[in-house]
Amino acid sequence: MHNKEYAAKAWNSAALPVIVLEKNGGVYVPFYQNDAAAALCPCGFLTDCMPDKLAQAILSGRNLSGQDDASLFFHTETAVYYVVTFAWEDCRVCMLTDVSSYYKSHQKALNEAIMASQAKTSFLSEMSHDIRTPMGAIIGMTDIALMQEQIPPRVRECLNKIKVASGHLMSLLNEVLDMSRIESGRILIQEEDTDIADLLHEVLTVANPQAEAARLHFSVNLGRMAEERILADSVRLKQICLNLLSNAIKFTPEGGSVTMDLEITPADSRGRVHLKLQVKDTGIGMSPEFLQKVFVPFEREEKSTVNKIQGTGLGMAITKNLVDLMGGQITVASKVQEGTCFQVDIPFVPGQNDRDIYRNVLKGRHILLFDGDEAQSAGIIEMLRNVDLAVDWARNAEQTVDFINEMAFSDEEYFAMLTTERAEDVEMLLFLPQIRQRMGADFPIFLLSEHDWSQLEYVYTQAGVTSFIPLPLFSTRLCAGLYAYTREGQEEERQNSENQNQDFHGKRILLAEDNEINREIAMELLGMMNLQIDTVENGRLAVDRFRETSPDYYDMILMDIQMPVMNGLDAARAIRSLPCSDARDIPIVAMTANAFVEDVKNSMDAGMNAHIAKPLDMNQVYATLEMFLGKGNR
Amino acid sequence: MKEYQKRYIDNIKQITALADIPGGVPSDAEPFLKERTAKRRQLAALVRENTELLRRELFPVLDDIISMPRDEIDELAEFAVSLTPGARQLDIFLNYTIHNALIVYARHWKLRDMLIRELYYAAMALFYQQSLIDIVARNRYRWSMRMLFGEAASYIKVYDDISDPEIRGFIHRSMGNLALGYTNDTEDSNRRKMDAIRQSLRILNDPVYHEKTPSLPWSTYIYKSHQERTTSLAFLRAGNTDPVSIREVMESAEYIWNRQLENSRRTGRPVSNRWHLTYHVAQYHCGIHTLSQLLTCMEEIYMQRDVTDFTLEGIYGSIFIPCMYAEYLSGNSLLREAKKEVLGHMYRMMLQYVRSVPADQISTSLIRNLMNVFETFIEYPDGIKQKDLLLQLVICRNPGTFLYLYMTACVSRMLTERVLKEEPAFLLGVLDCGSLEQVTASSDILTQFAYESGLFHDIGQLNFTQMTTMAARNWFREEKDLYQLHTRVGEIILARCESTRLYADTAAGHHRHYDGRGGYPAAYSREGKPNQPITDIVSLAAFFVRLLDNNVDYTREPLTLPQAMERVRQESGTRLAPALVRIFGGMETQLQEYLDGCKEEACRKASGLANTL
Repeated sequence: MHNKEYAAKAWNSAALPVIVLEKNGGVYVPFYQNDAAAALCPCGFLTDCMPDKLAQAILSGRNLSGQDDASLFFHTETAVYYVVTFAWEDCRVCMLTDVSSYYKSHQKALNEAIMASQAKTSFLSEMSHDIRTPMGAIIGMTDIALMQEQIPPRVRECLNKIKVASGHLMSLLNEVLDMSRIESGRILIQEEDTDIADLLHEVLTVANPQAEAARLHFSVNLGRMAEERILADSVRLKQICLNLLSNAIKFTPEGGSVTMDLEITPADSRGRVHLKLQVKDTGIGMSPEFLQKVFVPFEREEKSTVNKIQGTGLGMAITKNLVDLMGGQITVASKVQEGTCFQVDIPFVPGQNDRDIYRNVLKGRHILLFDGDEAQSAGIIEMLRNVDLAVDWARNAEQTVDFINEMAFSDEEYFAMLTTERAEDVEMLLFLPQIRQRMGADFPIFLLSEHDWSQLEYVYTQAGVTSFIPLPLFSTRLCAGLYAYTREGQEEERQNSENQNQDFHGKRILLAEDNEINREIAMELLGMMNLQIDTVENGRLAVDRFRETSPDYYDMILMDIQMPVMNGLDAARAIRSLPCSDARDIPIVAMTANAFVEDVKNSMDAGMNAHIAKPLDMNQVYATLEMFLGKGNR
Repeated sequence: MKEYQKRYIDNIKQITALADIPGGVPSDAEPFLKERTAKRRQLAALVRENTELLRRELFPVLDDIISMPRDEIDELAEFAVSLTPGARQLDIFLNYTIHNALIVYARHWKLRDMLIRELYYAAMALFYQQSLIDIVARNRYRWSMRMLFGEAASYIKVYDDISDPEIRGFIHRSMGNLALGYTNDTEDSNRRKMDAIRQSLRILNDPVYHEKTPSLPWSTYIYKSHQERTTSLAFLRAGNTDPVSIREVMESAEYIWNRQLENSRRTGRPVSNRWHLTYHVAQYHCGIHTLSQLLTCMEEIYMQRDVTDFTLEGIYGSIFIPCMYAEYLSGNSLLREAKKEVLGHMYRMMLQYVRSVPADQISTSLIRNLMNVFETFIEYPDGIKQKDLLLQLVICRNPGTFLYLYMTACVSRMLTERVLKEEPAFLLGVLDCGSLEQVTASSDILTQFAYESGLFHDIGQLNFTQMTTMAARNWFREEKDLYQLHTRVGEIILARCESTRLYADTAAGHHRHYDGRGGYPAAYSREGKPNQPITDIVSLAAFFVRLLDNNVDYTREPLTLPQAMERVRQESGTRLAPALVRIFGGMETQLQEYLDGCKEEACRKASGLANTL
């Protein structure tokens, strides 16, 4: 129904100029404007007639704030219009109000207010950034200190407290920074193929310990997952989930419960699936008055229970803005002392679907499922049958043995077994070794568990479990797990592993970093990967060192951006322009806390190949090194 | 076999001989006790030697079974088989341990034939282990049995690749025995059992297989499968009327009956009582006989039993028929009353029979059937009481346990008397005594209750007679775990009948620690048990007596009285109730006096009780 006719029906009668935009990739494009809008721009959509910055701000899909370079006002020869944008179903609407008389009478005051607001945002942004940089050093050094052996217990305790406190401070700073980015319109939604299973796993990795520490009952209910891969900004989507969950956990007293319901509905007529998320708690709830302001920045309800809880009052405002940016909607319902329920609905374009690849390979294979939970089993069986696998469902150990025996007498054989941790009639850690013995060493046995695999791995692999699939279960995870044990999957794995090499022995890196502590952290992390590292303290020295060494002496350059004498961007440009044979090819990787989209773009424009955010994350560093120094690149 | 293996088996035979009890306790206690002490010393030495033999010779082999030379493996297999000669089990847990190790070896070296054989033997060992605890844990080993039998049987798919007829025989036997892995308790299990037998019979009756391996005893296999199918009579006896089961059981009973008649005509020997009765029972369930007719048939067959036969057939006649008789009576109040004297006679005869069983004839089948008596026992108000029958059985088959029970009972009584004097409030709530006045007024009843609770608290040990009186070595962990089920066995048996019901809680909880943190069973809760103070008293008394004379572990050196008193003190607040420990601490002189002649007194008591039914 989201077509031109539908929009016309809704907006044609509006006296104010209205444009309706639909999402297309990462941006919005107008597909309808009413007559009032057409009158202002007869040759096209009204955005075509607007100043570039205002038009770009509208097309980016964000709520206009007036705090970036784009004005909130659209000037024509005869009038001044106040521009607002808002979400309308999965589209966005841009509406213009004629404020000519008001504008003229208050222009000066308005301009001052806008400038003050911009100054505030800019100040917050810069302050946050300036504090974040040394915080990176504190967190990094604490991690390194904790990795040392034989730390006295008291020192370890102190280091752990520093880690927790600095982590908390960092998250507060991030929120302030996020809000200021949103207000200044510097957050862009970067859509990429996102696996919902991975995303949920990451969310739960953070939320589960929080809920456990708060002694809450935390449960996740998965509804229908029509698609498990979507085109989404996974970082921001995760942030939405975590903000809602953290909030629920923070404001629910011990013994209460927090539930998260997640569903991906089938594609609508426009081919969009909808992610429907509900976070419900039995916490302290909100008053009707505060409920009106819950999405307003820096608002915190004034009551004793809330005052004891740390926070900036920005979380929900950020969440609302992010949901808006994604073209979704967020609603909230709450009752004091009964709890709160947030509901989010965001449209997404479905992502890449591997189901057919799995189906082709797995089709017809026989799976033995051992799970005493009837409801859970029904979901698993449906998933397995969706990829044409045959399933025998054993509710207990007795039936498991019977199925194995029956299969042994037939002409078929089981391809794999899926089992949960608990059984009503047997001790699993005694039962599984028997299954392993019976079925042989190569038979895949998968453990389905909602617990952290690292906590279970030792005992369960000793008991004969081959691999682990986390609960709640996603079809892609399940199929990928099974696929890995097919001939095709193993061949793929073999090829992948041939391309991998975790040891960068013999590789030499030039590290340009002015801050001594940051240099030390980087040296420590990179040293663990057997790299040879030379360091310089600014961009100029980096250029000189590169020029002085023989061609191909360095395999890669890691470059800080903000350095005295010559910054990283200029240094990269200088290196690329050197006449040396490897100057154009040597990988230069930016290493900076400046993680804005435009910073990344600036780095690339300066001739760099990649960007690693500070504080350094081992996995990201490794992945980047692997990308440029891995076996396939030598 | 290796020397240590021969030695081990010889030692077991000696242990069995030493454990032989001539059906009771003589009235002259002194020589009996002297002999008992001497025998226990010898038993302890043999147990220690066997334990050491395994530790030194066998376990290193099992630790590194994969690299053992083949001749050593063959000797090991021979040793394992010799641990279960015929229908007897000299050491069933060791037997399983070895077969299981041989499975690992066979799997590693891909020795298919050996694997099939060892899977079969290991499953059979589990079957015997399961028999030990059927009364209390019906499924503990059944799925493992099915796993092993099922795997061995699945080699039917490569039947033609196997040339050794013996191995083919193991495949058929495994397929037939798959049914042993099911109980007759539930419809689903019974259905699966019947399915397994049907599948086995289909192959056993297939002439193609007969042609492929003519040397196999096909008719025996078929006969045994039919035999197993008749065990589903228990399912029918429980009131189930599945028509398929009825038809198939009837078919099997008919088959066996005909074979029995044929055999009887050929050899001139009478038809087996067991199968004779099975035939009639099947007819009853098919609606041919009335219950009255069936009971008459049972009586006739019962009268033909051989009381000197201690094989399965003899056990069936003397022990199982009374059980079945009682089970059929239990559902019919008129016949139950009418047959009271008959059943009483059967119980007395059963007791005589049990008294006469030589130790080397005691098997898991005998014990299992004996426990069946208590699962089906009918107690008439003016008839034989279960409590009396239980005591008789303990005295005749396990007098050592009687000594321990009696001493525990006496110490419990003494302690209760002292509690009544010093801290009667401790007994508030016991037997509904709601006030101190009621406690004082009921002192005799309470003292007697404590005494009898002590006397019956460990009655579940009867189920583990073989394990306790003829232990070949120190127990494995698995055996210890099984033995701990004796509390539950005792509870089940005692709770069934009026005369023993009051002692069931003490049987269940006497090994659970006072603080709820240790001991067993973990599921036992003190909550909602008004007689718990009596259980606490018996727990202390039993703990104390075991320190002085352990009736299960002969190798444990007995403590002196002061040492035992100190151990009791150490357990205050953890294993034992602190109030009781305090009172008990003041009884040392009284206890010393009691202990001076307590065993003689116990023997006199046993002798006096024997043959009173």
